[in-house]
Amino acid sequence: MKKKLVSTVLASALLVSTLAGCGFTGGDTGSGTPTTSGDPGTATTTRDTLVYYDSNEIRTLVQWAASDTQSFTILNNTFEGLFRLDANHEPEKALCEDYTVSEDGLTYTFTLREGLEWSNGTPLTANDFVFAWLKQMSADATNGYNFIMTDYIVNGAEYGENKVSAEEVGVKAVDDRTLEVHLKNPTPYFLYLTTLSMYFPLNEAFVTEQGDNYGIKAENMIYCGPYVITSYDPAVGTTLKKNDKYWDAENVAIPNVEVKIIKDASAALNAYQAGTLDKVNLSSSDVAKYKDDPEFHTVTEFRVTYLQYNMEDPALSNANIRKALGYAIDRSILADTILADGSAASEGLVSFGVSGSDEGTFRELNGNISSFDPDLAKEYWEKGVAELGSEPKLSLLIADDSVTKNIATFVQSQFRDNLGIEVAIDSKTSKARNELMDNNNYQFAITAWGADYDDAMTFLDLWIADAKTGKSTPYRGNYANPAYSELILSAKADANAETRLQSMLDAEKLLVEEDAVVSPLYYKGFAYLQSAEVQDLIMHPLGSPVEFKFAHFADSAEG
Amino acid sequence: MNQEKNMDYQNIPRELFTKVQVDQGERERIGRPSLTAWQDGWIRLKQNKAAVVSLFVIIAIVALAILGPVFSPYNFAQTDYSATYQGPSLAHLFGTDMYGRDQFTRIWYGTRISLLIGFVAACLDLFVGVTYGAVSALLGGKVDAIMQRIIEILVGIPHLIIVILLMMVLPAGVGTIIVALAITGWVNMARLVRARILQLKNQEFVMAAEVLGTSQKNIILRHLIPNTVGIIVINAMFTIPSAIFTEAFLSFIGIGLSEPQASLGVLINNGYSVLQSYPYLLICPAIVIILIMVCFSILGDGLRDALDPRMSK
Amino acid sequence: MLKYIGKRLVYLVLTLLIIITVTFFLMKKLPGTPFDTERFSMLAPEQQEIMLEKYGLNDPVPVQYIKYLGNLIRGDLGTSFLYTGRPVADVIFSRLGPSMLIGIQAVLLGLAVGLTLGIIAAWKHNSGIDYFTMVIAVLGVSVPNFVVAALLQYYVGLQWGILPVAFWTNWACSVLPSIALSFSATAMFARFIRTEMLDVLEQDYITTARAKGLSQFKVLMVHAVRNSIIPVVTILGPVVVNLLTGSLAVESIYSVPGIGSLFVDCIKNNDYSTIMGITVFYSAFYIFVIMVVDILYSVIDPRIRIQGSKEG
Repeated sequence: MKKKLVSTVLASALLVSTLAGCGFTGGDTGSGTPTTSGDPGTATTTRDTLVYYDSNEIRTLVQWAASDTQSFTILNNTFEGLFRLDANHEPEKALCEDYTVSEDGLTYTFTLREGLEWSNGTPLTANDFVFAWLKQMSADATNGYNFIMTDYIVNGAEYGENKVSAEEVGVKAVDDRTLEVHLKNPTPYFLYLTTLSMYFPLNEAFVTEQGDNYGIKAENMIYCGPYVITSYDPAVGTTLKKNDKYWDAENVAIPNVEVKIIKDASAALNAYQAGTLDKVNLSSSDVAKYKDDPEFHTVTEFRVTYLQYNMEDPALSNANIRKALGYAIDRSILADTILADGSAASEGLVSFGVSGSDEGTFRELNGNISSFDPDLAKEYWEKGVAELGSEPKLSLLIADDSVTKNIATFVQSQFRDNLGIEVAIDSKTSKARNELMDNNNYQFAITAWGADYDDAMTFLDLWIADAKTGKSTPYRGNYANPAYSELILSAKADANAETRLQSMLDAEKLLVEEDAVVSPLYYKGFAYLQSAEVQDLIMHPLGSPVEFKFAHFADSAEG
Repeated sequence: MNQEKNMDYQNIPRELFTKVQVDQGERERIGRPSLTAWQDGWIRLKQNKAAVVSLFVIIAIVALAILGPVFSPYNFAQTDYSATYQGPSLAHLFGTDMYGRDQFTRIWYGTRISLLIGFVAACLDLFVGVTYGAVSALLGGKVDAIMQRIIEILVGIPHLIIVILLMMVLPAGVGTIIVALAITGWVNMARLVRARILQLKNQEFVMAAEVLGTSQKNIILRHLIPNTVGIIVINAMFTIPSAIFTEAFLSFIGIGLSEPQASLGVLINNGYSVLQSYPYLLICPAIVIILIMVCFSILGDGLRDALDPRMSK
Repeated sequence: MLKYIGKRLVYLVLTLLIIITVTFFLMKKLPGTPFDTERFSMLAPEQQEIMLEKYGLNDPVPVQYIKYLGNLIRGDLGTSFLYTGRPVADVIFSRLGPSMLIGIQAVLLGLAVGLTLGIIAAWKHNSGIDYFTMVIAVLGVSVPNFVVAALLQYYVGLQWGILPVAFWTNWACSVLPSIALSFSATAMFARFIRTEMLDVLEQDYITTARAKGLSQFKVLMVHAVRNSIIPVVTILGPVVVNLLTGSLAVESIYSVPGIGSLFVDCIKNNDYSTIMGITVFYSAFYIFVIMVVDILYSVIDPRIRIQGSKEG
């Protein structure tokens, strides 16, 4: 009896382990594996594979469901929209050969390149754009990015609510190569939007035929970008191969790209040092060690992290209290000492680099409107406390990721040192944090927003008041100043670049400086090491962050 | 053949036998003072040098945990951004962290909380786990079946869901951590004790006790539990560190301590994330926790030797 | 015996049903929706309604529960939200292989090393190897496995270059994670078997066996181990389940595409169908292993009578 049991257990264990053996993926990278950067002797000319990684799973490649950077990275390199961001992060013509804009800025007519094909040889037509865009505006889209179309395209929102038919939506295929788009407002940054994955085309016949299987495996998809996917596993990563059918294939230098998944930061660094990765993001604590390394780089994103005050909270409805909190934080320590990864101390809500006018970026034009001034902070605090009648007890709501925790701990220490108050930190899972905020059940919270396109409006229209309630959502602090909404709405409808910009500059000052609805903290940065062999691997500060198309190996000379 | 041998014995001359002294007084003499099992254990524990040393080290750690933060020139929350990531030095015995906070103060402050968590976990194990397991095994039959199914249900429901829901309804703090630990923290102990008592309950000495009319309660307390002490002690040694690390996880998702408070588990987690550049931030708290565990283990083994009735010679 | 197993299988189904029910209703109380929360709350309420409707999330929870049970009986676990459109069964099974492999290797390694060390330690009580075992056992419990994993990765993987640093391309990749995972199991097995053996070696029947002239080895293996193995078998159940269902930290350090992180991710993202899928799988596995352990008790030690045989 006992022997039988033991042998059964062993046999099943063996069976399971043989089965499990099939779980290995990726295969040997062979000559593609990069060599250690400190070992120049190895022949670099044989290199044909770039090895990149992401710190999170690539959960989906279905573009109407994708909402995270990992998915965007893959989609951006295997698909293409009308435009693609170039090395200077400006939109350049991609699938679109030419376009015209009507004088009122409301109608765009795009002409596609000739002879475009999907990776399976199907011709790529204007209808593929119409299909994909309608999908993104419908309830099928689970990525929550519907607004990125419905805010702009005529009847888009109504289509999503099943109120109008597809024919009435402002996107039409005039013929196979001509796409006509009708916008609600003149949108100077519309070309930026077309570089985003939600604006990529999809082949209706193929997607419909695949049904629920679309996007699940590499062979369940067809591609129109610089690369095609040869294998895909959410937890392991993807392998990419150059797309021969791509219109600009001759300018794609690297034949193969692997995107692996490594969740642990120090494991990624180990893998980089072992020579199995071409690029690695550094955590703050490792920056000091590698700062002077020639392989060390930083990039600052168009992404701001800020304190959101709830204007309906008894204590924080007091403007002096909010201002005191804002002035009490020394953001340069936060950026340089705590984060130390290329993040920059914020000077306002709109991050550095976001375009303004010919005279400078938006930030340069509006200056520093959220500075550090401990004396002023103390003064405002005392005034606020006097108005409230007693010192309020404050609690800062945060999501449970380690970077946010570090920021919260820092902010808490600044309040302790500069205002002499002890603020509680309330950490919750991110869903729980969002629900508390949506239910108006918080005092103030750490929140972040990344630009979807290169224009200040991507930040500023978040605080616009709801037409019914007359205030912004609880998540945006119940901000109820009609002057602010007026500025934003007038900017949205304004076809004149100059007055439009002025409205937005004023709006930011009103939001951050006068009403102190938010206190910006920093603009997010990345510090990373990148193998010297890899050149022109472009990292965009917004949208889809990495561009394999322009990358090449140092020694592999191309035409 | 037997007969012959017996004959042999009978032929032994009587002179070779000496009479064992049968003194009335000697017969009633009590060889050892009358002691309860626990007193007996204490005496034997004191003879185990390693255990005694461990006991003193534990007392020292507890004293440091209570007094360390009090006598330190720094406060556990006090930041100094001009002195971040300082290695161990005279000014900061265990160095400073990313906020320039003194690790020495924070580690002893954290030890307090971790010891408390460990103590709570051990109590849960001892009171809930041991009782549950013993009752289940002794009553047997339907009661045992139902009690074991309850354990399966408790283990089967994903812990993280319960923890997130707890987080929504209870305020963050040590109390909530204890509630979270209480749900399943004692299950392994209950199963181990049950298994051991199932093994013991049909053995002769229990039967003998039953025949002699010993009450059910006394059978449990005087016969079954002492024979189970070995497993109980060992399992408690595993429960304590696992509770300390569970606390760190719970604190991370927001159910327990919040900054600037710390526990050893939280310090180790934080230290791990900077391991490559500042290993001392991991090593110092890890040494404290290992020291605590080594001492508890030796003490635990000592206790087991001292309390196990069969070990008394 | 067969009757007993049949009874236990009935219990298994009942217990599973209770777990499914409780988990389903608790899960629905989790904050938020399966959609990307920040973006979702920016949508117009009408559109939110339409999306919830489309996925049947607007129905009253009991209705959703009945529907789920209906599908479950037909063997349909539904599709995942987090991994858009993938059948939950596929998601789970694609992750199960790697976790099982390193889990089984870790258990076998833990048993081999742990039992050997523990038995020798008990036999040579208070010797060098006894102290060595104690040290291993204490380190095994008080050093968290992510630290062990990180150290192994740094030294064995990077500095010495013996085994792959991370990734999941061939069997060699599974060695370090298995060793890292086995550490605490080794400690537990060694501690329990040592303690029990010390107990057993003092008992009369061991003296009898020795007196009969049995070899040391036979005394140890036939009489002592068999009588000391009960606690090891008891903890073997939960240990096996834990190791086979994955470890978040070790998997993330070695980039193992295992099930540990899946469970946490799907709960944090309200991926209802995947949560239920893993719960069903995990609890069925747990209950089954416990059942096997209960049966093993009476095989190993005939003095233990399992309820239902006669006593009941």
